[in-house]
Amino acid sequence: MRKLATIIMAGALAVTVMGITANADEIKVWVADNVVDFTNGQIEAFKEANPDFADYDYVVEPVGEGDAAGNMITDVEAGADIFGFAQDQIARLVSAGALIDVEPENAEKVKAENDPGSVAAATVGETLYAYPLTSDNGYFLYYDKSVVTDPSSLEAIIADCEAAGKNFYMEINSGWYQTAFFFATGADLTYDTDNDGNFTACNANYASDQGLVALREMVELKASPAFQNGSAAGEATNVAAIVDGTWDAGAVQDLFGDNYACAKLPTFEGSDGKTYQMSGFGGFKLLGVKPQEDEAKLAACDALAAWLSGEEAQIARFEAVEWGPSNLAAQASDAVQANEALAALGEQLQYTIPQGQYPGDYWSLATSLGDSIISGELSKDSSDDDLLAALDKFQETCLSYAQ
Amino acid sequence: MKEKDSGSMKRNRLIGNTITYIILILMSIIWLFPFFGLIMQSFRSYDSAVEYGGMVDYIIPKHFSLDNYRFLFSGETNYLLWYKNTLIIAIFVSILQTIIILCVSYALSRMRFRGRTLLMRFWLILGMFPGFLTLICLYFLLKQFGLTQAGAVPGLILVSVASSGMGYYVCKGYFDTLPIALDEAARIDGATRARIFLELTMPLSKPIIIYTALVAFMAPWCDFVMASYIAFGHDKSYNVAVGLQRWVWTNDYQGYFTRFCAGGILVAIPVTLLFMFLQRYYVEGVTGGAVKG
Amino acid sequence: MKTENKNAAAGGFSALGKSISQIGTTFAEGDWKTRLSYLIFGFGPLARGQIVKGLGYLATEIAFILYMVFFGADYLSKITTLGTVETAKKGRVTVYGDNSFLILLFGLLTIILIGVIILIWYLNIQENRNEELLLKAGKKLPSNRKALGSLLDTNFDKTLLALPTLGIFVFTVLPILFMICVAFTNYDKNHQSPSNLFTWVGLENFSKLFSFGKAGFGSTFLTVLLWTLVWAFFATFLNYFLGMGVAILINKKGIRFKQLWRTILVLTIAVPQFVSLLYIYKMFANDGLVNGYLLKWGWITSPIPFWTDPMLARITIIVVNVWIGIPYMMLIATGLLMNIPEELYESARIDGASPFQMFWSITLPYMLFVTGPFLLTQFTGNLNNFNVIYLLTKGQPQSMRLTDHAGQTDLLVTWLYKMTVTDTNYKMAAVIGIMVFLVTAVVSLIVYNMLPSVKDEGGFQ
Repeated sequence: MRKLATIIMAGALAVTVMGITANADEIKVWVADNVVDFTNGQIEAFKEANPDFADYDYVVEPVGEGDAAGNMITDVEAGADIFGFAQDQIARLVSAGALIDVEPENAEKVKAENDPGSVAAATVGETLYAYPLTSDNGYFLYYDKSVVTDPSSLEAIIADCEAAGKNFYMEINSGWYQTAFFFATGADLTYDTDNDGNFTACNANYASDQGLVALREMVELKASPAFQNGSAAGEATNVAAIVDGTWDAGAVQDLFGDNYACAKLPTFEGSDGKTYQMSGFGGFKLLGVKPQEDEAKLAACDALAAWLSGEEAQIARFEAVEWGPSNLAAQASDAVQANEALAALGEQLQYTIPQGQYPGDYWSLATSLGDSIISGELSKDSSDDDLLAALDKFQETCLSYAQ
Repeated sequence: MKEKDSGSMKRNRLIGNTITYIILILMSIIWLFPFFGLIMQSFRSYDSAVEYGGMVDYIIPKHFSLDNYRFLFSGETNYLLWYKNTLIIAIFVSILQTIIILCVSYALSRMRFRGRTLLMRFWLILGMFPGFLTLICLYFLLKQFGLTQAGAVPGLILVSVASSGMGYYVCKGYFDTLPIALDEAARIDGATRARIFLELTMPLSKPIIIYTALVAFMAPWCDFVMASYIAFGHDKSYNVAVGLQRWVWTNDYQGYFTRFCAGGILVAIPVTLLFMFLQRYYVEGVTGGAVKG
Repeated sequence: MKTENKNAAAGGFSALGKSISQIGTTFAEGDWKTRLSYLIFGFGPLARGQIVKGLGYLATEIAFILYMVFFGADYLSKITTLGTVETAKKGRVTVYGDNSFLILLFGLLTIILIGVIILIWYLNIQENRNEELLLKAGKKLPSNRKALGSLLDTNFDKTLLALPTLGIFVFTVLPILFMICVAFTNYDKNHQSPSNLFTWVGLENFSKLFSFGKAGFGSTFLTVLLWTLVWAFFATFLNYFLGMGVAILINKKGIRFKQLWRTILVLTIAVPQFVSLLYIYKMFANDGLVNGYLLKWGWITSPIPFWTDPMLARITIIVVNVWIGIPYMMLIATGLLMNIPEELYESARIDGASPFQMFWSITLPYMLFVTGPFLLTQFTGNLNNFNVIYLLTKGQPQSMRLTDHAGQTDLLVTWLYKMTVTDTNYKMAAVIGIMVFLVTAVVSLIVYNMLPSVKDEGGFQ
């Protein structure tokens, strides 16, 4: 018994000692795993350039854009002081109190130096809440030159894939990729937000003839045996074409080898006989700063966030991991201009709308719509009325998210 | 007449046994197939210079390579640290949980005190609440003690051990079968309860101790819900389950599937070996537990 | 079961009445030491030389007072509103207001501790009474040494159970009570501590769960609940019978390499599920191995939607669960089958019974009888079987017919998990959690009363 007590005491002691590690002078940074080393390097440079802020203990943790927002919201206190995230999370982060507005002086600079779409993406209501990091969060077509002969038409791509027994990947159960169809036919879905991240109004006309044409096209696409739902090149098998973004350029090059090619999204012929150019979102990655209780630390965070999203850092990041910059000067640099994937994205971007703010529930709702297509609940054989009923419900639910 | 009869019986048995063998062999193939696939994948390189490393629709790699294993040991990720964390958690949980379960089971099986049935019924009712209901509350409770993120490893041990007393059924069932006459004889000789527990009951309980410890040891290897919730944002505190499932589920880690398979194999090996060695005790434990409910 | 509970309740009330009256008599009949103990815990025992006990009581009281003054009282006073001070900004610096989460948690703790201190106060009075009665009867009080020593002997149960009970209280009871409270608040993504306050909303969340309008959870809840029950039924009984069948096959006379067959099957228990199940998920994906080979061999022209067709996904999950569950049941059945007296089979054989008849009239009744309670725990366990569902489909596919992240293979627990982790919709997660509890409790009660081993205790003994 005494032994047991000693063990427990020792355990308790160890626990208390290990517990006291939360450090007030620590600045925690969350970025995707593949830029951890890069970010550490940038922070070293930042410390050298700003000796005032060099005393802080900078810790970079690999927490990807997908997880960062969820983790921040679960516990703001334990979350990172500076974190990268995809723009679709920004309203949620603002309303949960996990983002502080950009320091006024920096805000002026950010607005002047970055492309307008990225600034809009980082703005909630009238307030700039984050630093744009990339403008490459859009998608376009990667394809295998030896299989796909005409990348400009969806019908032709599908026909080639079917003939070759290969797969065409597009993640139609994602609210992000779905808009490629809906926005193409002229259906519309946007939200207005106030300064606190609340959604005040929703402008939607999915339940319309345009929406119907788009949905019809999606169920047609799903009916092809060549179709696979997905957008992760590394997870795809037997691929001839995939709708994906620049972050997967490396993976796709591995996949296609010498037959690697990319292009803007194709056109499709709608059920009404008209030809539509696929559209979609042009999206952005952002860098945010968490609200702070300490003024000096806040200043350090502001300065570091500005540094990490500045022109030099964006160019360096492009060189390291090929993330397409949002900074106008960086965009104009020769290296960026020469990148094949970014060129395809650039071409696609003229057909897309810059992604605004959407409530978190929208993404889940869109997955439900996509899953209903994939599972065959909505299929080629569904009547127009059935499809319209689904769109009606979709639109109504979208409207209900705005108060 | 009789001979013919036994002849046909023999034939029947032969047919019966052949069918049984065919079923068993088919089952073995089905049961082993995923593991076979997993092992094969782990030997496919992720390096595109050797072989395409993403998802493929064939099983046998075109070039066998140890790249995935080399990657795990290279220190490029914290895999070894995650492995160490899990091992630490498993060992501590195994020891402490066994101690607690033994204490509780002995008290409930051998001693009669006020509120005994009430306590057992109360715990039974508590067990009907789904475990994940309290995730957020446990997280903030542990945070009060500084046992999240950087302190997640001791935190996980604490959470796993703290409520383990409720899992006394199997062990208490075992104690119930030990003859109570032994205890009574010892008490007449003047031994205290504590001495009886430590010097009489414990030595007789080897099978159940091993069973309890084995089950407790195996659980942490598969825990990703609690572990990821408590350790989030702190790579160094992950266990293998959390670390590895991120390679499959998050978009940041594309083309990591073969590395995931290799990591999974390395996790499976020690647990499987241990299980195989102690299988006898496991069978005794689950069988006893099933009968007693 | 029911009558027993009623008796227990009645007994509880009469005991409570007795205790209260005893508090009165003790005060009326007690000496000044006893009376002072009503205010200063353990004063009586201390004055009578019972140092250990006295100090224990006194220390508890002091600790409680300190706790209340420096910690508890503040939280307790705010529990009715869960905080009123909003988070504000001074310049660019954030000043956090009240933390509703901690107010609720520690307020609850304080209420419980007040209950505990009343109990200890009562025990302290009882101790005084006992001591007085002993002294009056001319007996000696037990020495301090003996009082401590009893913790290893007659009171050994207290020593053994102290730590486990404390652990269960802090990490199970308190959190569950907390979450039950959360079901009556508006704690969700828009009301999250420390940046925002949350507060009590009464039964609003429950009415949302049972409302069948467009924004209501009603039809989704029923769909998920139904699948949860169907799943638990198949997962339990399919595994049970198939596992038993496999055990009988392996145990059959004349079958060799018994240990080998068992070991092969048992691998599924040994290999951690997050490894094996994730692999199986990928295997059966639309673009996975199985479909890949079937397409290559020309057996199918388009992939079989194992995970994306709702019905097929449910079936696939149940089948994969058989893969996991058979070995476990096989192990159990192997041990139990050996316990069936061989003579029963012998005499049946003489009567000319076929193997199937023997199984039906001997093996099955015996197995059902001994494993009744086990089946019940398996069933309730399967109601909450998180790993199999989440590692395979994560509850997907979703559907326009279901709201709030629910998918068509979601169990109540996986739905609850998604609400907690993905959506931080804690209030609804708490409501679902309470529902899971109710379902489990009701099923357990019904099945428990149907069990043959409960109905007929003598049965096979």
